Amino acid sequence: MASQNFQTAILLSRPYLTREQIKRAQQNTIADRRIYNQKRISVFKFLCDICVQFKFPRKTLETAMYFYQRYYVFNKFETEMCYDVATSCLFIACKQVETIKKVADLCAVSLRLRSIVKVSPEMLDNCKKRIFQLELHILETCCFDYRVNNTVHIDEFIVKIGKELSLNYKACHLAWLIAFDALKLEILLMVPQHTIAIAALKIACELSDDTEWPNVRYTLFESDEPSVNEAYFDIVNFFINVFDLSDLKDNLPQGFRKLSIETFMDLKRKAGEEKGLKEPENVATDAYLTKERDYTVRERRYVLSRKRINDENRPTVRPAKKDRIE
Amino acid sequence: MASSSQFKQLEKLGNGTYATVYKGLNKTTGVYVALKEVKLDSEEGTPSTAIREISLMKELKHENIVRLYDVIHTENKLTLVFEFMDNDLKKYMDSRTVGNNPQGLELSLVKYFEWQLLQGVAFCHENKILHRDLKPQNLLINNKGQLKLGDFGLARAFGIPVNTFSSEVVTLWYRAPDVLMGSRTYSTSIDIWSCGCILAEMITGKPLFPGTNDEEQLKLIFETMGTPTERTWPGVSSLPKYNPQFPQHLPKDLGALLQSQTREKLDGSVIDLLHGLLKLNPDKRLSAKQALNHPWFSEYYQ
Repeated sequence: MASQNFQTAILLSRPYLTREQIKRAQQNTIADRRIYNQKRISVFKFLCDICVQFKFPRKTLETAMYFYQRYYVFNKFETEMCYDVATSCLFIACKQVETIKKVADLCAVSLRLRSIVKVSPEMLDNCKKRIFQLELHILETCCFDYRVNNTVHIDEFIVKIGKELSLNYKACHLAWLIAFDALKLEILLMVPQHTIAIAALKIACELSDDTEWPNVRYTLFESDEPSVNEAYFDIVNFFINVFDLSDLKDNLPQGFRKLSIETFMDLKRKAGEEKGLKEPENVATDAYLTKERDYTVRERRYVLSRKRINDENRPTVRPAKKDRIE
Repeated sequence: MASSSQFKQLEKLGNGTYATVYKGLNKTTGVYVALKEVKLDSEEGTPSTAIREISLMKELKHENIVRLYDVIHTENKLTLVFEFMDNDLKKYMDSRTVGNNPQGLELSLVKYFEWQLLQGVAFCHENKILHRDLKPQNLLINNKGQLKLGDFGLARAFGIPVNTFSSEVVTLWYRAPDVLMGSRTYSTSIDIWSCGCILAEMITGKPLFPGTNDEEQLKLIFETMGTPTERTWPGVSSLPKYNPQFPQHLPKDLGALLQSQTREKLDGSVIDLLHGLLKLNPDKRLSAKQALNHPWFSEYYQ
C-alpha cells in the first residue's frame, strides 16, 4: 500500500486473523513449526516465572502472550532472540495493563531466569537496549492497536459471564484453570478474549456433573457462534493433543472428577463436526499476509479505520493556497 | 519532488505532557492535523502515557473528543496524528484579557462550552474512562465554537487499582478536595470537580482556586466552599491527609462572589449547577449525565 509519491506506507490494523491467515503469514516467518511450538511453550513458562516473581495478574501474562505470538506472525522467528522478544512483550504488557515495572528490574529477572549466573551492568544495559529496540517493533506489528488487550481479559470475563449465567463456583473455577492453558494457544490471535472466556465456561460446564451449559445466544455477550466454536475446538484439541503437558492436569480442584485425554475426546465426539470461523477465500493472495512487512519505508502509518485510507485515495479538499505543496 | 512524509510539518503548537505538538497538513487530502511527536524515554522506552493515550483515544469516538487518526512510526520517532483544532480554551480566554484584567466569556458561550465539555465527559464515563486532567489547556476549540476534550495522557480506564503514580493526576487548580486529601478511591467525580472549576473560570476569566501547593489549594477551596465536617461529608476525617486543625470556614455566597467578577447577569440556575459540580463530598457531586439534565441547560434539551 506504499504511496508512489512519498516514502510512506499506510496500514490498516487487523487485530484478529483466521487460522489459515495466520498459517499463511507464518510461511514467511517460521521455518520449523516444531521448534517454534516447543519454544512457545518454554517462553510461556519463562513469562509465567517472571509474572510470579513480580506478582503480576494474569492479564499481564495474557497481553504479553498476545504480543509474543502476534510478533512472530509478521517477523522472522529466531530461537536466539525469542526470550528478548518475550521480555519486551511483557514490558509493553505491563505498560498497557498498568502493572508498570522498570525495564532494569524486568531485565534483571529475565536474565536470571535464563540461568545467567552473574548479571554484569554491561549485560543489563545491553538487555535494556534490545528491549527498547524490540518494543516499537512489537507495537508496530500490532499496528499500535490497543483495542485488543485494553479492557477485556479472559479471567475477568469468566467471572462476569459465569455470574451472569448463574453458573456455580466449581464450574467457574474449572473454566478459569482451562483458560490458563488457553493462553498458550494461537486462539488469542483469532478471537477476542471474552469469546475465549465463553468457550472455557462451556467446556467447564460440559465437564461438570452438576452444571449444565445454558443454551444462550452468544450475541447477548457480543460474540457469535463461529467465534465461540473456534475457541471451543482449539482448546479441546489442545487437551486431546497434549493433556499430559497441560497445567490443568496438575491443578484440578479438589473433589473434581478425574480428567484425561479420553474425557476431552468424548467431549469432542459429542460436539459433533468441528466448526469455526469462516476462512476467507483470498488467503493465498492477501498481500497483508503474503508480503513481508517492509520496515525500510521511512514513514509507516497505522490506522484503525478503512475510511482513513479511502479518504486519502479520494482527495476532495484542496489545501489553502499558502499551504499547498508544490 | 518526492517528500519523505505524508504530512507537512507546520508551526509548533505547544508542549504536551510527554510530547511536542505541531500543526500539520495531510498532503493528499489537504486536511490539517495536529502532530504529536512522542519523546521516547531513554530510560523507559515508549512512555506509558503515550500508550495509554493511544489506547484510550482510539476507543473514544465522539464529537466532543478529539479524534486520533493515525500512529506513525519513523526510524526512532513516534507521532500521533490528531484531529486539528484551532485553539484551546486557555489561549482563547487569555486572548480576551484587557490590559491586566482577565475577562469572562459571554454567558451563552459559557453555556455552550460547558454543555459540550459535559457531553464529552459523560461519554468518557459511560465508556469507563476517567480523563483525570481536565483543564482549559486540554479543552480544544475551533472557530465554529466546538469544544473537544484532548490530552488523554493521564486518562485511565477505571476499575484498575490506583497505583503510586496517581499523585500526578490533575493539575492542582482543578484538583478535587478528596484527591488533595489523599483519597485513592476516586472515580468519575474527579472529572466533575474540574468541570465545576472550569465553569467558574469561564464566567470570570480567572481560575477559581489558583493554589500553588496542596495545602494552599485546600485552603482556597475551603475558604469559598466551607470546611467539610463529618456531618457534611461522612468519612472525610479518615482521609490520609485530613487535618483536624484545618481552619473552619463557612461557605461563601458563590453567586455573589462570581457576580462581583463579571458584568454578565448570573441567574440562580447556573450557581445551582456550580454547587452541584463543586460539592466537597465526591459522593454528592452530580454525575455528568445529571449535570446535562440541569435546568440551566434546558434550552438544549431535545
